[in-house]
Amino acid sequence: MPEPVDRATIEALRADFRARLSSSATDRDLQTLNDDFLGRRSGTVTGLLKSLGTVPANARRDIGQLVNTLKREIESAIHDRRAALASSRPPADAVDVTLPAREIPIGRVHPLMRVRQQVEDIFARMGYEVLEGPEVEDDYHNFEALNMPPDHPARDMQDTLYLNAPIAGGTWGAHMDPVPEAQVRAATLLRTHTSAMQIRYMKTFPPPIRIIVPGRVYRRDSLDLSHTPMFQQCEGLVVGPGITLADLKGTFEAMLRELFGDVRVRLRPSFFPYTEPSAEIDISCQSCGGDGCGTCKRTGWIEILGSGMVHPAVLEAVGYDPEQVTGFAFGIGMERVAMLKYGVDDIRLFYENDLRFLEQFPV
Amino acid sequence: MNILVSWLREYVEVPDSPEDLARTMSVRGFSVEGIESSGDGDAIVDFEVTANRPDCMSVVGMAREVATAYNLPLRLPASPAADSGTKEGKDGGVSDGVPGSVIDIRIDDTDRCPRYVGAVVDVHVAPSPAWLQARLQAAGVRPLSNVVDVTNYVLLELGQPMHAFDLTALAGGQIRVRTARPGETLRTLDGQTRAMTTDMLVIADGERATAVAGVMGGGDSEVTPATTTIVLESACFDALSVRRTSKALGLKTEASMRFERGADPNLPLVAMQRAVALLESIGAGTLRGAIIDRYPAPVQSRSLRLRRTRLAEVLGAAVPDGDVRRILRSLDFTAGADDDGWDVGVPTRRVDVTREVDLIEEVARHYGFDRIPVTFPPPAAAPRPLDPRIMRARQLRGVLTGAGFSEAVTFGFVAAAAAAPFAAEDDIVPIANPLSETFAVLRPSALPGLIDGVAHNRRRERRDVRLFEIGARFGRARGESQAVACAWTGLAAPAHVSGTGRDVDFFDMKAVVERVCETMGVTADVTSHTVGWLAPGRSAAAHVGDTRVATFGQLAREIAHTNGLSDDPVYVADIDLDAILRVGAERHIRVEPLPRYPAITRDLSVLLDDTLAAADVRQTIRHAAPATLIHIIEFDRYQGKGIPDAKVSLSLRLTFRSSERTLTDADAQTAMDQVMAALTAAHGAVQR
Repeated sequence: MPEPVDRATIEALRADFRARLSSSATDRDLQTLNDDFLGRRSGTVTGLLKSLGTVPANARRDIGQLVNTLKREIESAIHDRRAALASSRPPADAVDVTLPAREIPIGRVHPLMRVRQQVEDIFARMGYEVLEGPEVEDDYHNFEALNMPPDHPARDMQDTLYLNAPIAGGTWGAHMDPVPEAQVRAATLLRTHTSAMQIRYMKTFPPPIRIIVPGRVYRRDSLDLSHTPMFQQCEGLVVGPGITLADLKGTFEAMLRELFGDVRVRLRPSFFPYTEPSAEIDISCQSCGGDGCGTCKRTGWIEILGSGMVHPAVLEAVGYDPEQVTGFAFGIGMERVAMLKYGVDDIRLFYENDLRFLEQFPV
Repeated sequence: MNILVSWLREYVEVPDSPEDLARTMSVRGFSVEGIESSGDGDAIVDFEVTANRPDCMSVVGMAREVATAYNLPLRLPASPAADSGTKEGKDGGVSDGVPGSVIDIRIDDTDRCPRYVGAVVDVHVAPSPAWLQARLQAAGVRPLSNVVDVTNYVLLELGQPMHAFDLTALAGGQIRVRTARPGETLRTLDGQTRAMTTDMLVIADGERATAVAGVMGGGDSEVTPATTTIVLESACFDALSVRRTSKALGLKTEASMRFERGADPNLPLVAMQRAVALLESIGAGTLRGAIIDRYPAPVQSRSLRLRRTRLAEVLGAAVPDGDVRRILRSLDFTAGADDDGWDVGVPTRRVDVTREVDLIEEVARHYGFDRIPVTFPPPAAAPRPLDPRIMRARQLRGVLTGAGFSEAVTFGFVAAAAAAPFAAEDDIVPIANPLSETFAVLRPSALPGLIDGVAHNRRRERRDVRLFEIGARFGRARGESQAVACAWTGLAAPAHVSGTGRDVDFFDMKAVVERVCETMGVTADVTSHTVGWLAPGRSAAAHVGDTRVATFGQLAREIAHTNGLSDDPVYVADIDLDAILRVGAERHIRVEPLPRYPAITRDLSVLLDDTLAAADVRQTIRHAAPATLIHIIEFDRYQGKGIPDAKVSLSLRLTFRSSERTLTDADAQTAMDQVMAALTAAHGAVQR
């Protein structure tokens, strides 16, 4: 004999239904709920109705009413919930927004060019003119006019790549109208620095001048972790009345802090044939904060660029009067900046053009 | 330059640790490459001596700098007073020497050898004392014998290269400083036989060359254990002559490295006296007779003027007079002050100090760059316009990255074989002294480098590659020119759940070329153009007027295969930026009024020969149609079922609009009739 139906059984069923209804989120859940309670064969409420006969006659009418009320309640609740579900269903043409996007391909600017543009922008805001010069040069512009006559020992510092026969010289000035007296000479070598352009510029324009010349330069160096036979340089030149070593110092404190963030800057005496006095410029090592580590060879400083006051012989070579004007010049390697800024430890990565490398730089 | 700190302290009592010493000197112009502790509190510090400072390629030279940096006195090494040896022969290089001397020294070429000091020493060749060996080893020099070790010791201590000859090997007891004779050869100490040329200076005996002056001694006059008498050489040779000889012979030595940077003509006698004193003090030998000094034209110290105002003008700092005087004197300059500056005497060892600005550097270096104030250059003139090449490159970078291309940077030189397809052989520029075959010629195009980049990525399982590079390329005829190169392989439209992807084809690359032209402000016409590096039938050129501005298409399969690329097509473009800049007019933007009347479109399908270019069809239509034709677009091209062989069905949509009135159907029909008639007449077109 089944259990006799009483009020407690009905209330327990009602509570059970409420609980399950609240956790039913799909049509399928609701169908199961309906079957479990109202199914013709095994629904629990249906079962109650079937067993009303076991209820004592005096209570049968009341209990019967209670069961029927529960049945209607359940029917209505499931119906309402179904309607609610239907109304929140996405339209037929809805999309699954979590599917991947249809890619709009976008490429990356090369990290060396990224750094170069940043350097150009810093100097442009300081009032520098930004220009390019030819990559194939002649001995006069690359060496001689820069205080490096033939057989000068300093030429050993820059092992040069020569052309097997001269070709037409540089293209600088082509955009100007009229084309400046171009100092055209047949090109015999690949420039070892962009300083060659300083001579071309000074021979074209009188002081004061304030220029930077970014571009590719070439040296006869074998490929290894820190050398490539071609690399990217940015050289600059400021000439005018009253330009001092203190100005050079101020310019680079500002420039290097903008490029690298909060670093200390120091000047260290050095030697270049085209500047006097000459200075290497260091920034405090960002890996150790200046305490000394492997990156900075325990010195706390990282060499970042070469600079100096323009040698009077260079000013004389272009027809400037070193008694009237002074100036400073500098050269900074884009690879070195990029390696420090981006944590690149092998310079060759810049020239392999591996997309797995390039795509690590943001759009 | 390896400097043993305890040796340095003999001349200057520097109190600092080797590490602090290194730190101090690195901001005085001597970077430190490394510090090697030797365990007993001593250390070897490797100072980098710049090319202009040969005087610091010695312990005493560095000691002078250290003394100045620390404001300490310098104690020079003990040697007999300058007049204790017998100097003679100041009147020329042809003296027969001291009467009774066993050696006869003559300088035939006083330009290349301004001074030669010689001495005859009777020796007992044996190992050097331990202290001497230890110092040589610390500096990285291998001890050989007491005689040779003393010459090396003096080299390290004072910076004067010295050499010892075995007297018995010198024919006629003679030393001749002369240029080599035609065809003369000489076996150097390293065992190599060297062919000399007539511009090379040699040390010869009465018969033949026995040493390369200032570079390396000869094997035949080498000091051996059997040697009993030597001739010591302490000389000054011309920098340029030594440099050229060393370069020509490919022979770089401790001696040549010092001479080629410039030697002090007043050092050889001091060094000789020091060497003789050392030999005698270690019991290695005794001077026989007098030291012979051939110095026909003694070099006087140079005088320079240092102006107080100029010092301040260059540095932007007022250095106190006391500091100027102290620094200069400590560095062995003389400095006599007057009202507006100093008259400065430059020691002859300072070959780098030739102008006032060199003195300013000396003062600044030891005053301390850290004490120079920080200022900012005052505003100069208004800046001149930016180099259009730089602006153009930036614009192109934006456009091409926006089209999915990543920027590559490749070398300016490539292998000859890689360059060959891209230029005529006689237009390729070889490098005279290339590093390797891989970098043998200047690139005639950036494409070889880009194709290499594509192959690199393909080898790393990257199928879809788009690369571009902006930069110079080179040709013998026209020199250097600027170009942008693009390479594209793999997908053009990426795959997505909504549909499959599509690989790049000709028209994708054509769009890139047109986009670049548009960016540069020119509109180019594309025609078929055959070139070796592009696949036949898929190669084109873009022209503005008569000027070719781009060549593009599918990369020739042989080139792809040579680079290890599969059969997937690679599309490439080489766009001549200089040519575009030449033909492009400056853009003046003028806005046109918006159209007031509606446009009307008509479609047309015609049968044509399948070799007829669409551009020709368009041109015929433009000629035939009234001025109201504003646009033509091909929207279908069909060959196959229902189309005769060698024919193609081309469908075009023509758009007409008038700026004066609304066009009617009749207007459109008239225009279409004219167009069809012209197509039939010009191309035998049949309307479908």
